[in-house]
Amino acid sequence: MNGGSAAPNRTDPGDGGLSVSRRGALAAAAGLTVSTSGCIRQVRDILMPDNIHQLSLTITTLPTDSDRESIRLSRELADVFEAVGIDVSFDIRSPVDFRRTVLYDHEFDICIVEHPGGTDPDFLYEALHSVYTDESGWQNPFGYTNLTVDDSLETQRQLEGEKRREAVTDVLEAVAIEQPFVPICIPDQHRAVRTDRFDWDERALATPQGYLDLDPTPDVSTLRVTHTDSRPTTNLNPLAVDYRGQGPFVDLLYDSLATETADGEIEPWFARSWEWDAGTIDVRLRTDCPFHDGEPMTAEDVAFTYRFLADMHPDDAETSAPAPRYRGLVEAVDSVDVVHRDRLELRIDAGRPVGERALLVPILPAHIWRERASDANGPGGATIAQGTTEAVVTDNIEPIGSGPFQFVSRTEGDGLTLERFDGHFTLRSGVALPAPSVDELTVSIDPPGSAVQRVIDDTADVTASPLETNVVGSVDQSGSTRVLESPSWSFYCLGFNARDAPFSNPRFRRVIAQLIDKEWLVDEVFRGYARPIATPVTEEWVPESLEWNGTDPETPFLGTDGEVDEDAVEAAFESAGFRYDEQGRLRVRQ
Amino acid sequence: MLAEVLTQVALVIGILLPVSVLVFIGRERLVRTRAEWRDRLRTNAPVIAVLLVVLLINRVARQTAPKLSREIGIHLTATFYNVEGEFILLFKSVETPELTAYFASVYVFGYTFLLIFPVIAYFMLSDTRIFRRLLTAYALNYAIGLVLYILIIAYGPRNVMPAELTERMLYDTNPQYQYLTREVNTNTNVFPSLHTSLSATVAAFASMTRSAYPKWFPIAVVLGASVALSTMYLGIHWGIDVAAGLVLAATCVVLSDKLVDRWSLSDLFGDRLERLSDRLPWLHREE
Amino acid sequence: MNWSPSSPDDGVSRRSFLAAGAAAGAVTASGCIDSVRNVVEQAGDNQMTLSITTLPADADRQNVQIARRLEANLEAVGIDVALDMRSPSELLKTVLIDQEFDLYVGRHPADYDPDFLYDALHSTFANERGWQNPFGFANMYFDTLLEEQRRVDGEQRKQRLGSVLHGLAQEKPFEPICFPDEHRIARTDGFEGWDEGTLGSRHGYLGLEGDGQLHALATDSRMTRNLNPLSATARERETMIDLLYDSLLSERNGELVPWLAESVEWSATPSETASGDDTNGEKDDANADERGDERRTVSITLREDCRFHDGEPLTASDVAFTYRFLEDTSLGRAPESPAPRYRGQVEMVESVEIEDDRRLTITLRGETPAGQRALTVPILPKHVWQELIDQRAASGEFSAPQGRWVAVTGDHIPPVGSGPYRYESHTEDEQLVLERYDDHFTLREDVDLGEPVAAGLRFTIEPGSAAAVRRVSDGSGDLTASILDAYAIGGIPDSSDITELTATHRSFYHIGFNVRNAPLSNPHFRRAITQLIDKETIVDEVFYDYATPTATPVADDWVPSSLEWSGEDPVTPFVGSNGRLNVEAAKSAFETAGFRYDDNGRLLGGY
Repeated sequence: MNGGSAAPNRTDPGDGGLSVSRRGALAAAAGLTVSTSGCIRQVRDILMPDNIHQLSLTITTLPTDSDRESIRLSRELADVFEAVGIDVSFDIRSPVDFRRTVLYDHEFDICIVEHPGGTDPDFLYEALHSVYTDESGWQNPFGYTNLTVDDSLETQRQLEGEKRREAVTDVLEAVAIEQPFVPICIPDQHRAVRTDRFDWDERALATPQGYLDLDPTPDVSTLRVTHTDSRPTTNLNPLAVDYRGQGPFVDLLYDSLATETADGEIEPWFARSWEWDAGTIDVRLRTDCPFHDGEPMTAEDVAFTYRFLADMHPDDAETSAPAPRYRGLVEAVDSVDVVHRDRLELRIDAGRPVGERALLVPILPAHIWRERASDANGPGGATIAQGTTEAVVTDNIEPIGSGPFQFVSRTEGDGLTLERFDGHFTLRSGVALPAPSVDELTVSIDPPGSAVQRVIDDTADVTASPLETNVVGSVDQSGSTRVLESPSWSFYCLGFNARDAPFSNPRFRRVIAQLIDKEWLVDEVFRGYARPIATPVTEEWVPESLEWNGTDPETPFLGTDGEVDEDAVEAAFESAGFRYDEQGRLRVRQ
Repeated sequence: MLAEVLTQVALVIGILLPVSVLVFIGRERLVRTRAEWRDRLRTNAPVIAVLLVVLLINRVARQTAPKLSREIGIHLTATFYNVEGEFILLFKSVETPELTAYFASVYVFGYTFLLIFPVIAYFMLSDTRIFRRLLTAYALNYAIGLVLYILIIAYGPRNVMPAELTERMLYDTNPQYQYLTREVNTNTNVFPSLHTSLSATVAAFASMTRSAYPKWFPIAVVLGASVALSTMYLGIHWGIDVAAGLVLAATCVVLSDKLVDRWSLSDLFGDRLERLSDRLPWLHREE
Repeated sequence: MNWSPSSPDDGVSRRSFLAAGAAAGAVTASGCIDSVRNVVEQAGDNQMTLSITTLPADADRQNVQIARRLEANLEAVGIDVALDMRSPSELLKTVLIDQEFDLYVGRHPADYDPDFLYDALHSTFANERGWQNPFGFANMYFDTLLEEQRRVDGEQRKQRLGSVLHGLAQEKPFEPICFPDEHRIARTDGFEGWDEGTLGSRHGYLGLEGDGQLHALATDSRMTRNLNPLSATARERETMIDLLYDSLLSERNGELVPWLAESVEWSATPSETASGDDTNGEKDDANADERGDERRTVSITLREDCRFHDGEPLTASDVAFTYRFLEDTSLGRAPESPAPRYRGQVEMVESVEIEDDRRLTITLRGETPAGQRALTVPILPKHVWQELIDQRAASGEFSAPQGRWVAVTGDHIPPVGSGPYRYESHTEDEQLVLERYDDHFTLREDVDLGEPVAAGLRFTIEPGSAAAVRRVSDGSGDLTASILDAYAIGGIPDSSDITELTATHRSFYHIGFNVRNAPLSNPHFRRAITQLIDKETIVDEVFYDYATPTATPVADDWVPSSLEWSGEDPVTPFVGSNGRLNVEAAKSAFETAGFRYDDNGRLLGGY
């Protein structure tokens, strides 16, 4: 709980009292009263019998430097919330801190965030299944629990074709009713590129493969990437949730059995081919592929990866410690059998569409990661099961993968240099896959405002981070600079911490959802470079009942043009069982 | 781009400094200083060393402080925002492109000049105490500032109100400057405003040395005030940060008076210093 | 959170960082902080702590035993448990009004009709204080079913309720444990005509034949301190209010008989629109269609010339006032403040129209069964309660926080009702004396509902069940009015002067969860906890078999066959056998639910 913000407070009797005293003791012992507001509030709750206050909520979000749209959305929403009698404060955190607060510590009321989403609606399994409420990572940060939704989520994993579509529709409709998070819009992804040096594939740029097969003009050997997010320069660990944003770099360093195209197709990559047979995937690997350190990459490494991601503590039989990323994908894998060096069988507990997605996890070299199974601060220290292993906390520099590029150097906060990995299988003759086409890939970290300018100035070839919406329209495209639009599936959403009241009440969440004028926000904040959504999946999966029709079909905005109709909201809150006081403040126990 | 910006700054300062040395200091003092610089350097050496150490720590801390800060810092962005709200948007009413350009250049060039010139100017004074006080005040500013930066995590207004500030946000109009500032600061270091505190410190010293440098005083005050205003105008600091900066400046000026000459190094290490100076023949070359 | 409650070792390490952090020189040490933080700062690295709110054995011997068994099993699976002992009214205040609890063990009054589940579970009540939804349970699917069961009758209703019960067995906002048998003893020499089934209601004290004052022994002293019909904390069961107040209909052995109403005529009227329905939350189209077809209206004629105990006449306007007052005890002067009782019943009533002093028409929001239940609330004298509010309002600032203002928390002694007995005197914690109300309609020639005892009733407080049994067998009491604790039942002497009255009642022991907050907001977690409860053994060892274990909060015909008790809970059977917990299996249930253990076998997830 951070100072100066009204983060969620627990008010259970024994429990609350206990934690206050303990916290108080700790703070006193340290001689500093950090986190003051949280403490004081709780103490007051106990001393004063009438602890019904104005609803006061904290919006956790990112600063302008990291995500201009998030903070703007937050402030627009804060205005609306204030108008309907809710007290709002902000908790603005750096990207790393934000992820730790929201995804690890679950210490937030509501957050505004760009959710990575997915081409396949199965990402909702990870995002909403109730067994994940206590885990750290993108798996159910909202703490949403609904057994009916769990059922539908499980069912859709087992099915294919039309039946799966029906099951997915069930999920989406239930989610739309309960609103564990409010999807706001899918922003367009625009990138500025130089066309005089490379040939770009507009669609592929949504995936790491956009940086392969670029057809450079003859004298060009370096791909100069500009990126606004400095996290890849401090940490290149594929398992570190807090450092992984949308950059393609870690994916360029690691191979997976298959890759996903921008259209959501699963295509062979390190796997030469595979056969699906009633819940078993028989995978044949490419032969003689080395890791960047020269060690051979074999079926053993693949098997190790799946086992390791499922349980990073293989020695400890009692507790399992799943990796905080790729959780939903790995969950589908029941067991892995190595047939021989280049062949293995995955037994899958899911239907084909979901089962094959399990092939998308990065393959970790067993000889390096095996040692990282130990507890991060050694035996005897404070340990908890998930997320404590060295594997999660290491910055993984320098990374040893097997991907088309290998790590050369980095300067923290400034840049990163990768070079072509000559041993990569895509460079072999006879392999018709996108291959690294430049000798060197340099990433320089630039402030969002100047990224475009660098492309225009010919000191960079591509902005790996999508452009901020306020610059998209004004890019000077007279020279060799072009703005490309790639398909996108990540979406902005308002996430609730549904663990605690009042956010645990779906009626409350629905009214909040109705305070968001998505159409207007898209115009105002995203300058139209986004499309409002009622359901968080790609267009082909949107059921008819949830298609955007100028307004949200399930939770339409209570007002017009961003102006909220206060009386209507008051009525909506009251019919949801909440009360206003005479001063028009929404009162609630927190 | 950093190189570009640094060159720019070096160029501007390189032109401004000699000119102002001539205008404000005058030939006479230059000549005298030429004769006495070794002596003065010897008296001032400890305080120069202290400042250098503080700057070095600052430099190192730039890498590590954010992490430490994340551990023990208090998040105060929301508090500042709640307290002063959209106060700094007041400047919206006077916003013009010219004013934006003025404040942007004051923020980058004016500030740098404001910091460097007094160092030279006060070195030229035969009374070395004011020079030592200035450097002590600088060191205090940086040291206290660093501690506060570690303890308080807050984002500036530009990170909270991007839409309202777009037209005059320094990094929107002149994104290249961000390369410079990120070399010396992270975006959570806004409380207090060191720009303000150092400028105010310089202005305070300028007022104390009115008699020696009468022409410098008004310039320092105007420039100092402009720097303080620019931090708010450009959306970098909250009003609270600026107020804290002024308090910090006052503290540092007062403390510098109390601290300087309190301990004489020669008293403490008298003998050793003698021997040290013996071993450094260039200090005695002319004697 | 930087300063979450945390285990001592990481507290030390962070404190040392702090100490170091004060000096700029320590900055270099911070290189390793990043990775350390990752480890120790994660949510849920503390042992899970839960509190169980329960009653002391003096007040209810079974309650605390259930709590202690649960405590032992929770501790066995690595959860830190604190028992929170409270007196009966304190417990109800903690749970119903303050809602500051994790788990509690209690006895739910239930009702003769399963419609009480509407009050107990509808999500629009999740934010209210009182008997309505103390768990904070909010599930839109349940809401729909609960609303629908009110609008249908017969087989359809049974089917909807079946779905509710199935859902309940999965989601577990509370866990019913057993229906205790109601044991009382009465002397047969003083009075005759004991009816074991109705001693919990007014009918048990009517139609008794005998001379002199009926001397009843009660274990619960709250009746001597508070007789406010609106109080949520003064009682679980309504017996005393039943005696002092009248309602339109009265329930007798599961049947409703006209009481204050002389005649009740039911009719269906097509309603024009579904509008005006603003208390029922969601109004999606499907619901509106179903709901809009038909409205039940009830034409009621009150008995002639009924008066309150203070002599004022009881008219149709008192009835109308009662429903309006229960819906908003501030009567519109402050933010709406519904009474902490009768919430579901009152919500069933859409409007009350007064025809004349004796006749009124009530429009209901659904079908007969739930509608009849709405007519069982006590009728309050308008002149008394209106004055109370006016007085408050006259004193200037008027606020009426739900469940917390004087109309609801006042002791309301002496009470002004219109019931068959009238308050005579009381001595706090000792006794309460009621006299016969001579003007009551049950004494009229043409009314055959049983007459009140001529010399009145005297309730004496005797906290111990065994002592109460002894006093009745000694002849210093006619009846044990409260239900005897199970341990005392075996000690009932075999005597011809004493008759043992046994009934199975619908009130049930249960464990309630505060589902508002994590981790109890997670149904998997609640299910894992309910598997630690061995109801069969509890019934056997705590209740000495004088109870019926149950998987559902309703009994008899309403229970779907798949939820019938079959020697174990059909949905969440006890993990273990013969009362011994299989710790490994129980722990793995928590792990399957997504929770984790540390090396010392402590369940993690404390925030």
